[in-house]
Amino acid sequence: MREMAVIIQRDLPSVQAALQTSVTPIAAGSPEAAAKPLLELRAVTKSFGPVTALADFEASVAPGEFVTVVGPSGCGKSTLFNIVAGLEEPDAGGILRFEGNSCHAADLLGRVSFMPQQDLLLPWRNVVDNAILALEVEGMPRAEARAKALKMLPEFGLAGFEKQYPHQLSGGMRQRVALMRTFLFERDLMLLDEPFGALDALTRAMMQRWLLDVWQKYRRTILFITHDVDEAIFLGDRVLVMTARPGSVKLEQVVDLPRPRRPEIVTAPEFVRLKRTLLDAIEEESMKSFQSAVAEEKAK
Amino acid sequence: MSAALPSSSLAVQRGVLGAVLLVLCWEGLARGLHLPSYVLPAVSDILAGVWSKRALLSEAAGYTLLEALVGYGLGCLVGIGLAVAITMLPVLRTVILPAATAINAVPVVGYSPLILLWFGIGVVSKMVMVAMAVSFTVFLSTLAGLDRVDRRAVDLMRSFGAGRLSILWRLRLPTALPLLLAGMRVSTVRSVIIAIITEMLGAYGGLGWVIYQAVLQIDFVQVWSAIFVASAASLSFFGLIGLLERKILFWK
Ligand SMILES: Nc1ncnc2c1ncn2[C@@H]1O[C@H](COP(=O)(O)OP(=O)(O)O)[C@@H](O)[C@H]1O
Ligand SMILES: [Mg+2]
Repeated sequence: MREMAVIIQRDLPSVQAALQTSVTPIAAGSPEAAAKPLLELRAVTKSFGPVTALADFEASVAPGEFVTVVGPSGCGKSTLFNIVAGLEEPDAGGILRFEGNSCHAADLLGRVSFMPQQDLLLPWRNVVDNAILALEVEGMPRAEARAKALKMLPEFGLAGFEKQYPHQLSGGMRQRVALMRTFLFERDLMLLDEPFGALDALTRAMMQRWLLDVWQKYRRTILFITHDVDEAIFLGDRVLVMTARPGSVKLEQVVDLPRPRRPEIVTAPEFVRLKRTLLDAIEEESMKSFQSAVAEEKAK
Repeated sequence: MSAALPSSSLAVQRGVLGAVLLVLCWEGLARGLHLPSYVLPAVSDILAGVWSKRALLSEAAGYTLLEALVGYGLGCLVGIGLAVAITMLPVLRTVILPAATAINAVPVVGYSPLILLWFGIGVVSKMVMVAMAVSFTVFLSTLAGLDRVDRRAVDLMRSFGAGRLSILWRLRLPTALPLLLAGMRVSTVRSVIIAIITEMLGAYGGLGWVIYQAVLQIDFVQVWSAIFVASAASLSFFGLIGLLERKILFWK
């Protein structure tokens, strides 16, 4: 399956070559748009008692694609991930398709690699043993799993830290350990919930570039939640803007910026144009969620 | 960890200083007021008593410690086992929790006549008594520890495809360790006390038995000698488990 994903993946070198000869951005209809989606959600709704977190959420993600999701806080982004990770069952009526087959959320347990908003490192495990948690659960012998993790450490900027415990690490390092744990759980689809939300701007920019490098090397499909529009554009092939709660897709924006993306790209006219479009959409939704919060406050 | 060490060694220094002061006052009072030994023998006399009866006392201490340790081990196993069972099969909670609480509404010593009747006056009855006392404390603390697990961490494990057993082993039990070990540490002193008290009610040996016999023979220096040995035994047991606790909970 992973081989398939790699083959379907956008042919990067040739795209770059094309860009070097002409300034026109790549056509939006890149090959993966035609490929069979890895994940498909149709009319997915989820309520918690009286609160409807998601309503008629629609999206599909192609193999190898990097899709970012932005939306006002409380709009149901984490709920969406919990469903795709198999932790919460959506309300009846919606359709969930993975690798082309219709399925229940629970069928996805163990098939999607999920990184929650908090790093959730286990304090009694050192860096390597935290990173291999999923491999251990899968039944891989510890020695083998550790060897595998040790080889990956330098790439995650953790070389020499294998014996350290979480309380000895900085926030950025803890986040990288959590990411490494997610990468070691080799699944075609990765869900990253605001992985850099708690980091300072400099560390975050570094981590973004680093994530793109690692993504290009491992060729996984990534769904990435963020509340930072710059981050969403910089990383994504496509940005989904969510509406205020109940969350659904307000805007689906293809990001046709060339890869590999340099940090300076954030000042490029195309980038700024995209940012304006997205900010307008988000602003509208943020206002709505702000107003409904005020209304709720008044009702009390 | 490194921050915890100096303050705890300071606590040890203070403790030693306090003990030395207490002993000096005690010695001064007993000697200065010429207190008779049935009121309060001098510390030096008690220590001399310990030394002269060292064979008897060490044998008695061994006997009591055996009962306390075996009972303690059993109690920990039962307490941890019940707490884990409740966590794995939540329906058991409504059965086990009220029953355990009802049994423990009466101080364990209240059951001693029955236990002596059922298990005789040998070591087994003491072990059972100690196990009963220890198991409840360890059960409650383990259960509190197991319940303290982060739901989000459980969800993360589930997303890896982990089953209940895997989550128990890799997440719940390590999360419960700090409270579990605190319960075990508190139970050390209790286990020695319960063993000694039960020995006073009928036994073939042990520190409680020595104390009881000494009272009958009006030998108060020996009563105090046995009490000193018992304190030393309990404190070392407490210290040992405390040390183990700090070794195991290195991340705290
Ligand atoms: N387990 C739950 N029980 C009740 N309400 C929930 C639960 N999970 C989420 N919600 C509600 O659903 C809404 C969306 O939450 P969430 O998905 O966490 O938002 P986001 O991640 O976009 O900030 C919020 O109003 C939240 O209170
Ligand atoms: Mg969230």
